Amino acid sequence: MITKKWAATGMSLVMAASLTACSTAPTSNSGTGSGQTATTEGGKEVIELKMGQFGSTGYEKLAEEYMKDHPNVKIQISTSDFNDHHNNLFTAISAGSGAPDIAMVEVGFIEKYRGAQDRFVNLYEMGAKDLQSNYLDWKWSVGESADHSFLFGLPTDIGPTVMYYRTDIFEAAGLPSDPEKVAEQIKTWDDFANAARTIKEKTGKPMTDNVELIYNALRDQAPEMYFDRANNLIVEKNPAMKKAYDYTAKLIQDGVLGNLALWTPEWGAAMADGGYATLLGASWMQGNIKGNAPDAKGKWAITQMPEGAGNWGGSYLVITKESKHPKEAYEFIKWITSPDNQYKSFLDQGLFPSATAVYDESKFKDYTDEYFGGQHTAQIMSEAAKKVKNVYYGENFSIVQGEILKALQNVQSKKSDPEQEWSEAIARVKQQLERK
Amino acid sequence: MIGKINWAKSIVYLLLFVGALLSLFPFYWMFVMATNSKEAINQVPPAALPGDQLAVNFAHVLEQIRFFPALANSFIVSILVTIGVLFLCSLAGYAFAKIKFPGRTVLFGAILVTMMIPTQLGLVPSYFIITKLGWLNDLKALVVPGLVNAFGIFWMRQYIAEAVPEEIIEAAKIDGCSHFRIYWNIVVPAILPAFATLGIVTFMQTWNDFLWPVTVLRDPSFQTIQVAIRSLNDVYVRDYGMILSGTFWATVPLIVVFVVFNKFFISGLTQGAVK
Amino acid sequence: MSVIERNTQTMPVRTKPGRWMTEARKDMVFGYLSISPFFILFAIFGLFPMLFSFYLAFQKFSGIGEMRYVGWQNFRFIIEDPLFWKSIYNTLIMGLLGTAPQILVGMVLAYALNSALIRFKSFFRVAFFMPYVTSILAVAIVFSVIFSNQPSGLMNTLLGVFGVGPISWNTSEWGVKVAISTMVFWRWLGYNTIIFLAGLQSIPNDLYEAARIDGASTRQQIWYITLPLLKPVILFTTFLSTIGAWQLFVEPLVFFGRLGDVGEEGMTVVLYLYREAFRNNAFGTASATAVLLFFIIIVFTVLNYVLTNRTGRAGQLGKAARAAKKRGEAV
Repeated sequence: MITKKWAATGMSLVMAASLTACSTAPTSNSGTGSGQTATTEGGKEVIELKMGQFGSTGYEKLAEEYMKDHPNVKIQISTSDFNDHHNNLFTAISAGSGAPDIAMVEVGFIEKYRGAQDRFVNLYEMGAKDLQSNYLDWKWSVGESADHSFLFGLPTDIGPTVMYYRTDIFEAAGLPSDPEKVAEQIKTWDDFANAARTIKEKTGKPMTDNVELIYNALRDQAPEMYFDRANNLIVEKNPAMKKAYDYTAKLIQDGVLGNLALWTPEWGAAMADGGYATLLGASWMQGNIKGNAPDAKGKWAITQMPEGAGNWGGSYLVITKESKHPKEAYEFIKWITSPDNQYKSFLDQGLFPSATAVYDESKFKDYTDEYFGGQHTAQIMSEAAKKVKNVYYGENFSIVQGEILKALQNVQSKKSDPEQEWSEAIARVKQQLERK
Repeated sequence: MIGKINWAKSIVYLLLFVGALLSLFPFYWMFVMATNSKEAINQVPPAALPGDQLAVNFAHVLEQIRFFPALANSFIVSILVTIGVLFLCSLAGYAFAKIKFPGRTVLFGAILVTMMIPTQLGLVPSYFIITKLGWLNDLKALVVPGLVNAFGIFWMRQYIAEAVPEEIIEAAKIDGCSHFRIYWNIVVPAILPAFATLGIVTFMQTWNDFLWPVTVLRDPSFQTIQVAIRSLNDVYVRDYGMILSGTFWATVPLIVVFVVFNKFFISGLTQGAVK
Repeated sequence: MSVIERNTQTMPVRTKPGRWMTEARKDMVFGYLSISPFFILFAIFGLFPMLFSFYLAFQKFSGIGEMRYVGWQNFRFIIEDPLFWKSIYNTLIMGLLGTAPQILVGMVLAYALNSALIRFKSFFRVAFFMPYVTSILAVAIVFSVIFSNQPSGLMNTLLGVFGVGPISWNTSEWGVKVAISTMVFWRWLGYNTIIFLAGLQSIPNDLYEAARIDGASTRQQIWYITLPLLKPVILFTTFLSTIGAWQLFVEPLVFFGRLGDVGEEGMTVVLYLYREAFRNNAFGTASATAVLLFFIIIVFTVLNYVLTNRTGRAGQLGKAARAAKKRGEAV
């Protein structure tokens, strides 16, 4: 009986073990995280590079092209969800393994990885200094360390911000609707506020979708934001931030700002039926507008924002320290971010180029969009791109941004006192910074 | 009297139907969105009826991700985990419910305590272990840690304690049955409804899990369906028609599995009735 | 089953364990072998992350870069943070609103679905389990449409019929709580129902039959047979719901959409620690929060256990239930 029982138990254990073994069979040769294995093919060494990206970039096609010209390089691109991609990179960096050779990093996340400079290859050491003049100054600078000695990544696309507006609402309010005349009429933020009041009065519609983008627009036009380059919190001492906050709070109290949260269905729906007059968005917002409001063709137009422009989104390509082939990786990212290829990516996927040479290409300059009344959209965006201020965000940018936005949202939804909300927000920021 | 009963009964039916409608509604909406263009979805009021974009949306999905291989991976993982959980949890549940051994109460308590640990922070250290084991981009990383869990043991213990009378086990012991024989020939047949329940829950949970798979499976060829579907999200512009089409078709197999298990479930029920 | 039972009554005792392997030893070996897979896997995939969290609770750590020992400082930060206390309050309220009705309704539903009187059981079972299967993304979209802040939102329109003004569902103190609790209730009701259903099926039918023969009414049957015998499952569900409620995370996150948009009205303890870790990169305070939460859950579980046990004992236990109880204690 004992032996029988043992046999039975043993069997069950073996069964369980073999089950797991079965599951692993088809995947057992998967290898580890990044493709640092060099395999030989016909006596020639083939270098495998793994690259992680998010969204649709069309880089797969470019990589094919590159591999044709460089038979010794094999590039494997995997695409993930935006947040997953960045969280995974963070996890890999934190655990010290599993990062790809090349990773696409969005501008907001460059800040989060700043503390882990030693986990990335300094592209200045690879000779990237020579490339700097190809790109917009501000874009390049965000990819650097605070003291400009370390370069995290090469610039890919950007998201210059402009003012999208509804011509029908402007007309209904008795305002000009032609892009140039609108720009003339709304030159300053005071003009913008006046227009907002007129529109509210005449049409009953809010000037913006919500409080976030208008605050961001003013914030982006300041020479300094929340931190200085030594990472000191300067938000209290920086009058520009308080000004942006006060301006937004004033418009909230005037009741001229909408309360449609970004990315909600109702926010998208309002794009279609003219729920608000302006959208202070980035170049890629064109895709959202067209997608959400296909029937509003000709009702949306684009012009420059008052007093300058900002940037929202866009990425860099970085090389991780884990890569065994940083040279080859560098050659590839240098190639794919080159003006020629940025031009291709623009034509193919609408990725807005950060390489200034593209702005002079005829197909770029002449690019018009029937949806936006035949405007030269690319050229308008490139003008905005040149106006973007070269600012330092700092690795704790999102903490401050989050608390200030929360304060503004409270002013709007709870009708609370802006001054008190501001000081509470600053207190919360300080409290959170202490913990890091 | 009869009239009164019928009246009460129709209220029960009415409540059940309303409840069923409320439960089904988001699923229905998922189907509506999967068959509409993104414009139709973003209207106010949104499209409420299925559209004609079913094939178009799904074709987009197939262009973007390796849908069927990912589906296969999900099946492999979910089935293995479910088998593991059913077997190992019921075995442990039986031991905790019916067998005396030193430290039983303490160990059972320890299992309960493990359920109280918030798992959100464990991501980085768990990932670290997986990389050390060399299981990154390997389905093993999903299957092995999932083979047995505290919830299953707890549930099986509670169920077996009630469903399997002590006398039967005593009798079988006297007959000379080994513990494993008792487990296999007496306990397992008696807890089939619990198997169906635990099987359903485990399968669904494994199938729908994404936080952990997303972290350890990055290579497209080893992704599960949930991970693959997440990469349908574009950064700034989202095509909900396409995303929900992928989501919808990834849910259909689950429903099939549920209906099949449900049958098993009902047969367990009628068995009880015969007894 | 009854066959075996009869066998044991009629057949004489065949063997006696007279070997070196006593009954007790056999029990021990089999017991340990059976439970070892869990403990082995837990040691590898559960214990290390847990100990790591305990360790991190006393460090200042940004996830990348150096760790620094800071003693109890992280705990002090949290305890002095009003938002942490607010998150505890929120979790308690939403947990209660979301899970307590769930257990009650789930039990009633399971009873209805188990009774022979109801038809289309199969359909209802599938329907009520559907929310558990439906993708969270679809749920998020649907709920954001239903609980839209706009006066034209579904819920606000409905309330408007009763003369209740439009509610700002994602900023007002109770709007947020009601919306999230509704989501929790909706998502987990079917799950609990199915657990109860399985529990109901473990109750032998002959008990009811015997009771019927004795002339017991339906209410008496429920009170003296169903409820007492269902007690282990009720305890089980309450235990799980308590833990689940404290670990409330997915629903509020999905409801707000972005981590940054989570207002203090909907901040739960786990969201608080998640935000500390993954937005603020403050893994030390996040871990300290996890440790505190762990102890809170233990206290609540014990409290819960004592309370449920007491109410169970206070109630009159029927004959069958008493027998079942005896059986339970004999184990």
